[in-house]
Amino acid sequence: MKKRRLLGHQHTHFYKAAGIDYYACQSRIRHWNGCYKVCAAVWILILCLILDHPWVSAFVILTVGAINLIGNGVSFWEYLSLIKVPIAFLVMGCGAIAFGISPDPKGDWYIRLPWFFLYFTVEAFIQAAELFLKAMGAISVLYLMALSTPASEIVMVMRKMHMPKLLTELMYMMYRFIFILTEVHSNLKTAAISRLGDADFRTSCVTFGKIGANLLILSLKKANTYYDAMVSRGYDGEFFFWEEEKPVRIWQILSLGLYTVVLICLERNL
Amino acid sequence: MTRGQKRLWLASIAIAMVFAVAPSANAMHIMEGYLPLGFCVAWGVISLPFLVKGFFSIQKKLQENRKNITILAMSGAFIFVISSLKIPSVTGSCSHMTGTGLGAILFGPSAVGILGMGVLIFQAVLLAHGGLTTLGSNIFSMAIAGPFLSYGIYKLCKNIKINRRICVFLAAAAGDLLTYCVTSFQLAIAYPSPEGVLSSVVKFLGVFAPTQLPLAVVEGFLTVVIMITLENYAQPELRNVGYLD
Repeated sequence: MKKRRLLGHQHTHFYKAAGIDYYACQSRIRHWNGCYKVCAAVWILILCLILDHPWVSAFVILTVGAINLIGNGVSFWEYLSLIKVPIAFLVMGCGAIAFGISPDPKGDWYIRLPWFFLYFTVEAFIQAAELFLKAMGAISVLYLMALSTPASEIVMVMRKMHMPKLLTELMYMMYRFIFILTEVHSNLKTAAISRLGDADFRTSCVTFGKIGANLLILSLKKANTYYDAMVSRGYDGEFFFWEEEKPVRIWQILSLGLYTVVLICLERNL
Repeated sequence: MTRGQKRLWLASIAIAMVFAVAPSANAMHIMEGYLPLGFCVAWGVISLPFLVKGFFSIQKKLQENRKNITILAMSGAFIFVISSLKIPSVTGSCSHMTGTGLGAILFGPSAVGILGMGVLIFQAVLLAHGGLTTLGSNIFSMAIAGPFLSYGIYKLCKNIKINRRICVFLAAAAGDLLTYCVTSFQLAIAYPSPEGVLSSVVKFLGVFAPTQLPLAVVEGFLTVVIMITLENYAQPELRNVGYLD
């Protein structure tokens, strides 16, 4: 399947989910140790939040963005398409911080609205801009983890971190079922559209509801079948997965240490 | 063009840009990195008792019948998929259900807390919607506050014998609205304006209102359509998940 089709033209979010998982499976750093990748991403994320400095955030956005483009093999336009939704949230959220509302005129600049004044101060704008950078840095790191580590490997890391077995098992199964339901939904939608199920807004709503309901009916029916299939293959309450050995290299740890030092130096303006 | 007209023109462009991107916003996920670390930890701690209760409720269900594990996992996957579907819209915008109201009505609020946590983790790692540090706050707004209110309203309306479809509509719409209000509150206490937290809450409610208010009504309506279809064609399955007696 062409990469463009995976993300660019399918507007539904789970196609995007399949796209991110696809990139994670073909990433150039796929063979790196899963625990290392998750821990490194979380460590950089925490550093980005704790250091809370615009230079640190900008450096993280650029370097992690470069790893996402080069290391994870995502094209520039695909990457922009991925970060569109977080940017929309951040524009609205940071906009609310940059602007204030008051019954009296105040701030560096204001406009009169029917019941109140919408004002703007330079300090609030700087705070919003810094927050935007910090959040963008954090989002880039989240994408670094998502685009380089398949979700199943992330669940495996959670298991190693002693998350309750019941939860990790539930998540393993959910991960697999998400893709099964995605395919079922795709078939239901194709059938509905080919019968003019999206002719107008009212019909589209009824079609959406019926597809949703049928999806639940089919998923519950499949659930019973899958349980029987699991039991027939020896399932007795615990999953065992074959796991490829991926040792952590010394240079990887040193690189992370060096990256940490650079971030701290940037924060102290050295 | 006078200076005043120019300012007005620039303000209209800014407002248009905000509204141009607003329809593509997903449900109210607080994005990674947006909250200070202290708030991330605090919301995680607040969510913890609900998650523990949900964990024990799921454990009990599995002790009753081990087969329930595939039903629970499939229900979680269903909530993920239903919250990823682009809902119909007149303007062609891209909006999504939260799916938590429907989940709470079908599976109960405690189970949805745990399933919602799984869904939010997958949304963070598969879609980068929400985040890992903001997981606690998102769990509280989407998997705890919304579902508990939806379930409460549904049970209340059912007890006072209101039409079941109206119950479902009110429950799903109110759950969605509460999620939006709680998220706005979470953002406001993290970034209060000089006039105080209340003014900040009003600001955040105002910023997200154009997308979230119509979305709550649409979510209520779509949940009713889903429930009508389920009641017509899937009574054994509804009995299985405990929706019908």
